[in-house]
Amino acid sequence: MNDFSELEKELRKLRPTQPSPMLFERVEEALKNCRASVSDAKWKRWRFAETPYNWWSLGFGLAAAAILILFAAVTMERRHDQQQTVAQSSPAPETRPAPLGTERSIPASRFIPAGGTNVVYNARDEGLHFADGSERPVRRVRYRTQQTWRWRNPETGASLRVSYPSEEVVLIPVSGQ
Amino acid sequence: MEPIVSHENWRNCFSEVAPGLLLFARQWVQSAADAEDIVQDAFVKFWRRNHDIANRGLLYSAVRSLALDFIRRDARRARREATVLAEAEPAIEPHFELEDDTQSALAAAMESLPRDQREVLVLKIWNDLTFSEIAGALGISQNTAASRYRYALINLKKTLQPQ
Repeated sequence: MNDFSELEKELRKLRPTQPSPMLFERVEEALKNCRASVSDAKWKRWRFAETPYNWWSLGFGLAAAAILILFAAVTMERRHDQQQTVAQSSPAPETRPAPLGTERSIPASRFIPAGGTNVVYNARDEGLHFADGSERPVRRVRYRTQQTWRWRNPETGASLRVSYPSEEVVLIPVSGQ
Repeated sequence: MEPIVSHENWRNCFSEVAPGLLLFARQWVQSAADAEDIVQDAFVKFWRRNHDIANRGLLYSAVRSLALDFIRRDARRARREATVLAEAEPAIEPHFELEDDTQSALAAAMESLPRDQREVLVLKIWNDLTFSEIAGALGISQNTAASRYRYALINLKKTLQPQ
């Protein structure tokens, strides 16, 4: 580095522009305002920020899945009832229809989980941050994923698939040097 | 323990680091007012958490992080600023208090450096951070920090050499 000592000396002579006096006032004001900052609210915020997943997206995803399942179940139930009505109004069948109780014992809405995938299609490192109330910096990584859940009805062979985008923010604690 | 706010030494500490912090913030945001906002947020967070000023790498890391957030949040404005800045003279809001032509040339050469070299130079020269602290603040290795610094000086020397 000796080759550059003269240049470094010249650079050090350059004086960065000074902050405006207003900045000092603003910092003072902000420090005063945060006197009561360690409060329950802050603790709650920290607990939320600490959780490694974005619970909102997870909640919305699960709610959407539940609604779809409910909708599918109702639709299949109606279809089942319509088929029964048609059978009753048609001429007498050659084969003896199964008793109603037997049909009811195989509900069309009996779907069982058949699998799920969670494809991460984008991961972005958003650098170091201080989560509110945190003493230590954390590295924030944002994952964008496409989650797909599948259910299958073993009786009818019908399958139901719900797919939705999801975003997860993971906070990784960074240890100091 | 409730920190800081009761301490009166924040002003001394801030006076010491603010010019360097502002210069560092202005490596991302062109407007001095925006840079002041970023520095204020970072310093208040740092001070409120009662961090030791010896651990100042965190402060610079916070400034960088807030500046990057600012750019993302305000991408449209940043683009507009970048366009305006590309057309305008950089002396509208100078980064340095210049005393003569030599200093003007040096400042101009400094501002023409690639950003990764410039940020290491700013942290080393005007903020007196060690390479270890720079590495921590920028999330790079110590060797990378040292080599970026060296490249910055080489490039500066090249730019300033008489043709």
